[in-house]
Amino acid sequence: MTFSDDRPTMIEFKDVHKYYGDYHALRGINGTIKAGEFFSLLGPSGCGKTTLLRTIAGFEDISSGVIMIDGKDMAGVAANVRPTNMVFQSYAIFPHMSVAENVGFGLRKDPRSKEEKARAVAEALEMVGLKGYGNRAAHALSGGQRQRVALARALILKPKVLLLDEPLSALDKKMREHMQVELIKLQRQVGITFILVTHDQEEALVMSDRIAVMFEGEIAQLADPETLYRRPATKKVADFIGTMNFVPAEILSETGNAVEVDAKGLGRVMLDIAQAPAKAGESPVVGLRPETLTLLYDDQKPSERETDGVIDEVIYFGDMTYYDVYLGGTDVEVRLSMRNVPGRPVLDVGEKVRVAWSPSALVLFR
Amino acid sequence: MKAPWLRSFTLLYLVFLYSPIILLPIFAFNDSKVVAFPLTGFTLGWFREMFSDVNLRIAAKNSLIIALSVATLSTILGIFAARASVRYRFPGKAAIMGLIMLPLVLPEMIVAMALLVVLLSMGVPLSLFTVIIGQVLICTPFAVAILTSAFQSLDRSLEEAAMDLGETQWSTFRLIVLPLVMPGILSSFLICFTIAFDEFIVANFLGSGQPILSVYIFGQFRFPAKVPSMLALGTVLVCMSIILLGFAEYMRRRGIAKAGGKDTGGFL
Repeated sequence: MTFSDDRPTMIEFKDVHKYYGDYHALRGINGTIKAGEFFSLLGPSGCGKTTLLRTIAGFEDISSGVIMIDGKDMAGVAANVRPTNMVFQSYAIFPHMSVAENVGFGLRKDPRSKEEKARAVAEALEMVGLKGYGNRAAHALSGGQRQRVALARALILKPKVLLLDEPLSALDKKMREHMQVELIKLQRQVGITFILVTHDQEEALVMSDRIAVMFEGEIAQLADPETLYRRPATKKVADFIGTMNFVPAEILSETGNAVEVDAKGLGRVMLDIAQAPAKAGESPVVGLRPETLTLLYDDQKPSERETDGVIDEVIYFGDMTYYDVYLGGTDVEVRLSMRNVPGRPVLDVGEKVRVAWSPSALVLFR
Repeated sequence: MKAPWLRSFTLLYLVFLYSPIILLPIFAFNDSKVVAFPLTGFTLGWFREMFSDVNLRIAAKNSLIIALSVATLSTILGIFAARASVRYRFPGKAAIMGLIMLPLVLPEMIVAMALLVVLLSMGVPLSLFTVIIGQVLICTPFAVAILTSAFQSLDRSLEEAAMDLGETQWSTFRLIVLPLVMPGILSSFLICFTIAFDEFIVANFLGSGQPILSVYIFGQFRFPAKVPSMLALGTVLVCMSIILLGFAEYMRRRGIAKAGGKDTGGFL
């Protein structure tokens, strides 16, 4: 994932703050978004992600700090002259216009001839898979079609940055997954910087080159999806993205490049310093993802590290089974996931099992 | 329906409410100066008499001038107030909106008397103009109520989308907001027109004896011979009202459907 490293900067935040009266909505946002990047702002509702997006669009003024787009300070630059276009959560399709009038709306002041504009509209519609829909009434479209119209309407102006405010949240699951792939393809095709706001961590992982995870008006971690998933910087990020087991631990010793911990139920482990992000003043826990734990069946050889356990709960998902297991005679319960492959029976509650794990999959939060 | 008396009550209520109105056309076409059963025969004579009444024509013209002016002014004021109340936050908003809506529940008599005293003490001569001022006060709350619902059903991101696509505040209002609330504007205009057209109290207090339809009709009822032709006039007015209110409601519903909103109740 080195995609973003060598790209020029498209957007830069320098200590951006936003107050609504007494409410501190953005608390010192710093970071850069690269040109051509698919960037996601991820966080629970009320974390400030939509506010941040709207400050980029110019719908919200910032209280202090600087937002640069393509090297220009955006202070005092109104939304209608910024090089950004937005796809709204409600799509904001103009209900009194046809599809073509909607898509061509931004071309009103374009000096091109009527025919050229009509061609541009047709091309934009084709790009989003709505060829021939131009004469339809906008209010008669389905949710997915509205979204495509909103996309075409925003992209026809060839903005430097396309802003997407939870564009998939109103669609059903199948349609959402389909549109995720389409959006990725579209972004590669047009090469424009996409900034997506979402509360759906899976969606962010699937679609983004890089993700900024936000909590309470601050960016908790800005990284590519794999780093975010495997090496979350805080316990909160780890908890928000996917499932993570937290096992209480005691720090035994720390040197410049390693930390030794005693994790309850797992025993003594030596961790690389990269597995131990900066201190947050919490009581130490080690985190491990369900898929990094494996049940050993009778015929399987002992692994690098293994721990005895007792199955407390079995959750069957068809392709996967989740087991909640008490570790090594303690009250520490972890969830682990096993793929249901032939010859691997689903085990029962109460069975004694051997759990294999690898120290390199652990992350220490302290 | 489990309680049959509820149905009877509803029926009785509707009969009581509307049967007098049905009597209007019945006696307007009845060939007798006496408004009483049995009916004696069919005639269009009362309508003829009505249309040849010069004073009535002046009164109708005055009422039309008043109603059109009141509807226009109230609707324009309503647009400003409704837009401000839906879109903007400002100190004292609740109090200001409350005061604008107050004439809706204030006895009209009080409004009319107060205005009369103030206008006379200011030395403003009573005229059609003073009637218009008084009625605007009465009608504006209705306009605000209708237009507020029209502006509320407008998704705010529509305006942001237009701005995002390069339009200014004014061109956004012209291209997006105005077309989408137009049905509400029309419906407000029509309802204010209807209210102002047959308004009596303000017209009587502030009209200084100018012939105005509602006042004129009331006056004519003193002469038994005039009653049937007034019933004919009433018949015409009832038909007009039904057409206007029906049209207003149609526009209101169309507006909500167009803006993709949900119907939250209206006048009909």
